[in-house]
Amino acid sequence: MLAYIGRRALLAIFTMWAISVLAFVIIQLPPGDYVTSYIAQMASMGSVVTDEEAQNLRIQYGLGQPIYVQYLKWVALIAQGNFGMSMEWRRPVTEVIGERLWLTVVVSVAALILTWVLALPIGVYSAVRQYSVGDYLATFVGFIGLAVPNFLLALVLLYLGFVLFNAHIGGLFSPEFQDAPWSAARVWDLLKHLPIPALILGLAGTAQQIRIMRANLLDELRKPYVVTARSKGLSETRVVLKYPVRVALNPFASTIGYTLPYIVSGSIIVSLVLGLPTVGPLLLKALIAQDMFLAGTIVLMLGMMTVIGTLISDVVLVWIDPRIRLEET
Amino acid sequence: MTELRRTPRRWKVRSRLMITLVVGVLSAAVAAGALAQSAGKSGLIGKLEGPEVVTDPAKVPKTLKEAPQLAALVKAGKLPPVAERIGQDPLVIKPLHEIGKYGGTWRGGFTGPADFWNGFRCCSGPDHLLFWDYTGDKVTPNIAKGYEMQDGGRTLVLHLRRGMKWSDGKPFTADDFVFWFEDIYRNKDLIPTPSAAMAINGKQGVIEKVDTHTVRFKFPEPYFMLPDVLAGSTDLGGHAWRGYAGLGAYAPAHYLKQFHPKYVGQAELDKKVKEAKFDSWVRMFLFKNDWALNPELPVLSPWKTVTPINTPTWTLERNPYSVFVDTAGNQLPYIDRVVLTLGENLEVINLRAIAGEYDFQQRHLDLGKLPVFLENQARGGYKVYLDPGDYGGDMIIKFNLSYEADPEIAKWMNTADFRRALSLGIDRDQLNETFWLGTGTPSSVVPADGNKYNPGPQYRKLWATLDVKKANELLDKAGLAKKDAQGYRQRTDGKGRLRIEIMTLGGQFLQFTQIAEMIREQWKKIGIDLTVQEVERSLALKRTAANEQQLGAWNNDGSEHLFTFPLHVFPFEISGVSSSGPLYARWFHSAGTQGKEPPARLKELMEKFKKAYGVPEKERIELGKEVWKIAAEEVYIIGVIGMGPASMGVRVVKTNMGNIPSRQYNSPDGKTPTISRPVTFFWKK
Repeated sequence: MLAYIGRRALLAIFTMWAISVLAFVIIQLPPGDYVTSYIAQMASMGSVVTDEEAQNLRIQYGLGQPIYVQYLKWVALIAQGNFGMSMEWRRPVTEVIGERLWLTVVVSVAALILTWVLALPIGVYSAVRQYSVGDYLATFVGFIGLAVPNFLLALVLLYLGFVLFNAHIGGLFSPEFQDAPWSAARVWDLLKHLPIPALILGLAGTAQQIRIMRANLLDELRKPYVVTARSKGLSETRVVLKYPVRVALNPFASTIGYTLPYIVSGSIIVSLVLGLPTVGPLLLKALIAQDMFLAGTIVLMLGMMTVIGTLISDVVLVWIDPRIRLEET
Repeated sequence: MTELRRTPRRWKVRSRLMITLVVGVLSAAVAAGALAQSAGKSGLIGKLEGPEVVTDPAKVPKTLKEAPQLAALVKAGKLPPVAERIGQDPLVIKPLHEIGKYGGTWRGGFTGPADFWNGFRCCSGPDHLLFWDYTGDKVTPNIAKGYEMQDGGRTLVLHLRRGMKWSDGKPFTADDFVFWFEDIYRNKDLIPTPSAAMAINGKQGVIEKVDTHTVRFKFPEPYFMLPDVLAGSTDLGGHAWRGYAGLGAYAPAHYLKQFHPKYVGQAELDKKVKEAKFDSWVRMFLFKNDWALNPELPVLSPWKTVTPINTPTWTLERNPYSVFVDTAGNQLPYIDRVVLTLGENLEVINLRAIAGEYDFQQRHLDLGKLPVFLENQARGGYKVYLDPGDYGGDMIIKFNLSYEADPEIAKWMNTADFRRALSLGIDRDQLNETFWLGTGTPSSVVPADGNKYNPGPQYRKLWATLDVKKANELLDKAGLAKKDAQGYRQRTDGKGRLRIEIMTLGGQFLQFTQIAEMIREQWKKIGIDLTVQEVERSLALKRTAANEQQLGAWNNDGSEHLFTFPLHVFPFEISGVSSSGPLYARWFHSAGTQGKEPPARLKELMEKFKKAYGVPEKERIELGKEVWKIAAEEVYIIGVIGMGPASMGVRVVKTNMGNIPSRQYNSPDGKTPTISRPVTFFWKK
């Protein structure tokens, strides 16, 4: 077991390095660089960047140098624990990401929990009461969540919230709490704003999980050991919950790996629409502006989350599925 | 069986009736709506008005008063008394309607750390040395209380205000100018390439101290344009607007010296740089001089950044040393705080404005959403105003005159009659109704009638009407008479259909791509095949710089101040999102050593433009008119719809805010709404 984890960890480091190179190269691919993007951005705001200023900026940001020089500079900085300076935000990258990271985790975890809390029971119910009204209803709602683009859902809910409830538009905090230090009141304000984003983010994933749960459970429920258990007199609940559900949970465990980075990157448009201060919109803006260090660091971070997440899900799988354990030894 | 066949016929009649009824009801509704809209629209554009700057020294108020919280601080001994803070020469502004009351917060929205224009436009003062009056026409004293041109226009003497202070209480004197010129502008690390604004005919000028409150700008040749340059949004336009690039004409010497190697020593500076996690002293210096990013920076603006622009809330609070006062002696601003909240998406900002969450918002509001804004006025507690710009082109189409990649197309780009014919083929009224909701004015590129450089009313519609017959005639005569089976004109080099391409950018305040698509349909009638290419911004820049663009869609805002914003009048920009001739622009800027020499008439235009900087105002106005005359006659750029409010002209203001003008001069040079002196806005409670 330990050797297994050790081997995987080594591979992880190599994967991370490959990700960093790829990220840096791909971010640079669009024509132009940060300065051209900056000029274009200024132009669309009715401002002007003189040619002299553009030249000065390029010199200052070192954008004239070849790409591998810029990459090596970045790696050197990372080795010192400094992820560089974001050109757009004019602050260290760690500062820019840092404050948003916690909120991203909170929103993502809330969405994840909501998804599972909704999907698993509904999936179990769907399988056990197959072809009933409840089954069809659950499936129908799930598919609507899957079919409607979630940014559209977000816009509609925002507008409805304003028209019907006079709700504050977008964001995770009310204006008074935006920059306030953490307090019980601020946490409560956050929890008040959390349901809509978590719901929208979770809804699409819910349909998927329901169907997977349902399909797996149906498979399991037809197996002979279930019939045996039932015939031996176990209550129906115990029969379903203790063994088949545990087996049906198998794919969930293996998907933990990419769920977290998916929620970060899959939520970009919803976060943009809802004005959530999460990492998603940050990444989008950084990519459009070709803000090298910021975009590169976020992509690296997402890569790391995927790698660690996959490692975790492998370990979890080994833990809950005794069949794999047997094969290992 | 027969029954089934009978019902279809009955159904046919019934369904036809239904359809006609529905269509009739719908069109009536739309017409009613449009009628209501046009009635409403005429009330949306008001009369141009604004506060005046009082320059008569006799009218300076004798006693000065201040905001209650500042008075409390003075009492507690934490601040010097107001007369001492302002000095002997306050900047007196006569409010538009009435003397205001202190207090309150002004809420607005911004889109991120690149949106610093938002702050310049609302809260920077203005802190220019000179600035425009509310008509955008005259240059008036501002931070400098007066100026004189001497020595045939070669020298500009500025008089500063005695006793004026930075926001930390230190004096503002001529030393701040000398520091800027000697230690910032002349430092090759901070400013590698000198600014064209500090030069006349390519020759740089100098800044000298005359005494503590007098500064002199000296140039080798007459530079009569200098006051306009100081007033406009140029490199010499003040500290808030240009400090982050190391420009602006002055800087807080006493604060910035600690970040400059000449005063601190390179070793110690390097240590500071490392601690603050910057990668060079240059970047740290420019960061420290950034009005929107550094809360510790001493400023002259009436509001001062408290939480910077790279956080979710950009807060600005009153500057206790603000030199602005009203005619009753009250220190301005009236409003205590400005709070701008982050809305990374334009839709969110518009939605928040509709919901009434902003008090005065002029930026980022979409003209296309005007009906929704109007609908929610009562509910949101605000009023909608439209401030049309004075420039001739909310939407223009630029021909790349120096295009080379395809010789046939290049030939036509440079044929005046071809450009004129294309301009005559555009149905401007249709575009106006569809995209501007009727609020724009079909026009050539020339600015508004009241603009001092306007060459005359006959130029408004010159080559800028819909005349398909004339357009076809012109094109036939020019040599494009041969058409193919679909009616499109053929190239004269035998390579088939004449296709031209227009490059547009998506996601702008105007839907350029959709407008270009409509123009494509209109140009079918004159036999021109137009391809619309929407590209991403950086790609647009690259293509333009590489001289690959044929036609480009953009706007010419700023051109109402022809000499400070010429970029969309003739080829002026080498790097821009659309250019009317990058090679000619290069020729213009390198004084003929690089690039390609423009054709005769364009050269004439450029020469007149250059000459205007060095001649007195009367001559300059004549030269300006001639520049516009040539531009309108040659149609280097097609003016489509002008004087429209699409670019930052939709304004939403809470009904209980006072001293709000019914119409403002909408101009980047005027940093609208700063041109309406927001220091005089107040809450009527």
